[in-house]
Amino acid sequence: MKTVILSVGSNRANLDLLSQQLVKEGYETLNAASLEELDKSIQEKKDIALALIDLSGFDQHIWEHCETLRKVKIPFIVISPQRSPLIQKDSMEHGASGLMVKPLGIKELLEYVHTLLGE
Amino acid sequence: MARKQAEPEKTDNRVSTGIAGLDEIMNQGFVPQRIYLVRGGPGTGKSTLGLHFLTAGAGEGEKVLFITLGEPEAQVRKNAQRMGFDLKGVSFLDLTPTKELFTESGSYDIFSPAEVERGPITQKIKGEVERLKPARVFLDSATQLRYLSTDAFQFRKQMLALARYLTEEGATVIFCSEGSTDAPDDDLQFLCDGVINLDFGSDGRKISVIKFRGSDFRSGAQSMRLSNRGAEVFPRLVPEAYTREYIAEPIASGVPELDELLHGGLERGTVTIIGGPTGVGKTTLGLQFMKEAAGRGERSVVYTFEEGRQTMLKRCMGINIPVRDMIERKTLSIVQVEPLHYTPDEFANLVRQEVEEKNSRIIMIDSTSGYGLSLGSREMVNHIRALTQYLKNMGITTILISEVETITGDFQATEVGASHLADNIVFLRYLEVTGEMRRVIGVLKKRTSSFEKTLREFEITRYGLKVGEPLTGLRGILSGGITLGNISGDHLE
Repeated sequence: MKTVILSVGSNRANLDLLSQQLVKEGYETLNAASLEELDKSIQEKKDIALALIDLSGFDQHIWEHCETLRKVKIPFIVISPQRSPLIQKDSMEHGASGLMVKPLGIKELLEYVHTLLGE
Repeated sequence: MARKQAEPEKTDNRVSTGIAGLDEIMNQGFVPQRIYLVRGGPGTGKSTLGLHFLTAGAGEGEKVLFITLGEPEAQVRKNAQRMGFDLKGVSFLDLTPTKELFTESGSYDIFSPAEVERGPITQKIKGEVERLKPARVFLDSATQLRYLSTDAFQFRKQMLALARYLTEEGATVIFCSEGSTDAPDDDLQFLCDGVINLDFGSDGRKISVIKFRGSDFRSGAQSMRLSNRGAEVFPRLVPEAYTREYIAEPIASGVPELDELLHGGLERGTVTIIGGPTGVGKTTLGLQFMKEAAGRGERSVVYTFEEGRQTMLKRCMGINIPVRDMIERKTLSIVQVEPLHYTPDEFANLVRQEVEEKNSRIIMIDSTSGYGLSLGSREMVNHIRALTQYLKNMGITTILISEVETITGDFQATEVGASHLADNIVFLRYLEVTGEMRRVIGVLKKRTSSFEKTLREFEITRYGLKVGEPLTGLRGILSGGITLGNISGDHLE
């Protein structure tokens, strides 16, 4: 059975690109383009191994959803559009396992994912 | 008469650039299976040069490929059609962004373009090159590929690999680059085998080859013109490159007294300045030699920089020079040169066509000051020296009309700075005789033969030119105040 990774972001092209890379690496992917879709994914799919949260296009409410992920014990990486101490602080406070700044290096991202999944 | 023209050393196996003037600069074209860089700002003609390169190959039945990363194929085709290019046989690989990219679903920022697009673009290029096996590739522009590399080192490495791949597949390749100060392209200049710069400044469009590995080339900026016929390059005239055998015989004017004055006429392969004040008859005198040449079936050309063509035609008809007949019989061409329309190199190219393709034997430039003003040349004397030297080498009788500013006063044979160009100087002057304005003609210099040292009266009548007997009683010729001294022996009445 393949490991499932949930990608969250408001930009469909970004989600598609993330999925392509993750599928190529052997993962199963789920995409959520809104907070509602994120909630739905968490409720419906219980075996999500990791979430990638692209903050772009979301407001402060995203952190509440990150808290939900923490509660259901889904590790997540926050992807930020810029390097910001405030985002770094919020990410840590809401339980992020890591923070990456766009544009991501594909190789670095996959290495990070492997590490977090203990592979 | 044997004709021999010195041509650049034959270089085998060159790939034509598709532009005759550029081939001339590049010693007959590109060395095949190498990479060339064409660099210049927007609107300098990079894509046009590429179209010439590709269509020249397609015309020879070669497979050619236009890889576009900036302008969509449809736009390139439209522009090419406007300039009369036949794109039949030219394959396109359009790697420009689609319009969907503008919408949200098409744009991305999660990964750098280098991460996402380099792979697919490389695959598409590879696929097309493998499918087509092109002999010529034009990539417009390499600047776009720079954005697909994470750093300068990666870019250089990738471009080197691409260059190697394309040339090993058998292609001669042109990369385009905008090469601005904001986006320097020194790396591309180093890796390419040849570099061609395009520029559009206050001196007009210029093209210069600054690097050409394994080949001789003509350095320096050369004139270029972009028009609805595409690009034309006008190499700076190098007179030493042209020569042909000719007999340095004198050509007569058909006016016996004038020919006596000149001891036979004006020799072929010489430059004659006809100097004098305004309205004295300099152009008419030059045309007289052309009228006589037309009788021998020889072609002459007048480049008029000041007087309108129609005015000249009308004036000539009034003094028994049958210019219309001569034009009809193609023994004369009167070319009115519009101010600032040509660069000196373009003008020289026009003259060359007349000499080399239409076998014109007399060339008249009316006038040297008009030449300088109309061609906007800051190096007028250098350009006209090169042109006249070329004409001499080709055995042409060249007549330069030079207007002196003063009607009376100190003697001045030609305008300042022009005399040294001439083998012969013929001057016309006004002379006042008992309150009447008369004209005289004299010869100041004749390098290739002796000449009469006295002046003769010169008249323009409705029957043509009339030149009188030698005037032996004139004084003050060189001081400018010509007067009749001892009138014994002279024929002024």
